Amino acid sequence: MSTQMEITYTFNAPRELVFKAFTESQHLRNWWGPKGWDFQVAKADFQPGGVFHYSQKPADGGDIMWVKFEYSEIVTSEKIVYTSFFSDEEGNVVRAPFDANWPLKTLNTLTFIEDKGKTTLTTIIVPVSPTEEEYKTFFSSREIVQDGFSGTYDQLAEYLKI
Amino acid sequence: MGENITTWSALAEPNRLHIVELLRGGPLTVGEIAERLGLRQPQVSKHLRVLSDSGLVEVYPRANRRIYKLRPQPFLELNDWIHSFRTIWEGRLERLDDYLRELQE
Repeated sequence: MSTQMEITYTFNAPRELVFKAFTESQHLRNWWGPKGWDFQVAKADFQPGGVFHYSQKPADGGDIMWVKFEYSEIVTSEKIVYTSFFSDEEGNVVRAPFDANWPLKTLNTLTFIEDKGKTTLTTIIVPVSPTEEEYKTFFSSREIVQDGFSGTYDQLAEYLKI
Repeated sequence: MGENITTWSALAEPNRLHIVELLRGGPLTVGEIAERLGLRQPQVSKHLRVLSDSGLVEVYPRANRRIYKLRPQPFLELNDWIHSFRTIWEGRLERLDDYLRELQE
């Protein structure tokens, strides 16, 4: 267990295309949400400081979920950094529908690296504390948090279960 | 339990993280923690109060000493939280993989 989550995935596609799949609404609607869910984009402003606000609705008629991204850094075809959180229709932050104890925003860093026509995407997700002060604290010590926790927390989880 | 202190913000402070790491080895007193981390006792007490308010550590008396230990629950929740995101992302990346294949056909 680690306080950051990292997922690496290699696609058999050039990175311009993979990057587009993440940044253009007409692409996102085809794969971002679970299959069969109704995906609607309310706002798409792909630039630093811009937002992406969308809804998804389960095929079985379950409740609609709104999600909002706030982009903080964009390097075309190379990198996307955004904060993501569950929101209401107006775009205000709401608690995660699946767990009331985690109303957190997450900071998502996507890095695209191409090698011989394949693109490796590394996604790093870290939690963001909800207040400005906590946000700053988290970031000022983020590296220490990562160094301190990476790997070692599997053992802790095991140990604590005993 | 403090309502405004989350597990994440409690752990984000380096000294508090060090205290948690130290307590993985087993329960300790304030004095022992202060000594091992080279911190002053009042400073350690302050951090332990935050860790305790956020539910990460609990204290129990032994003779005339107060012993601090980790509480498993928040760490398991942390683990669940990470797991839930991993599941969502892995499914998503597999869909993108399929989609990119379709696009390039």
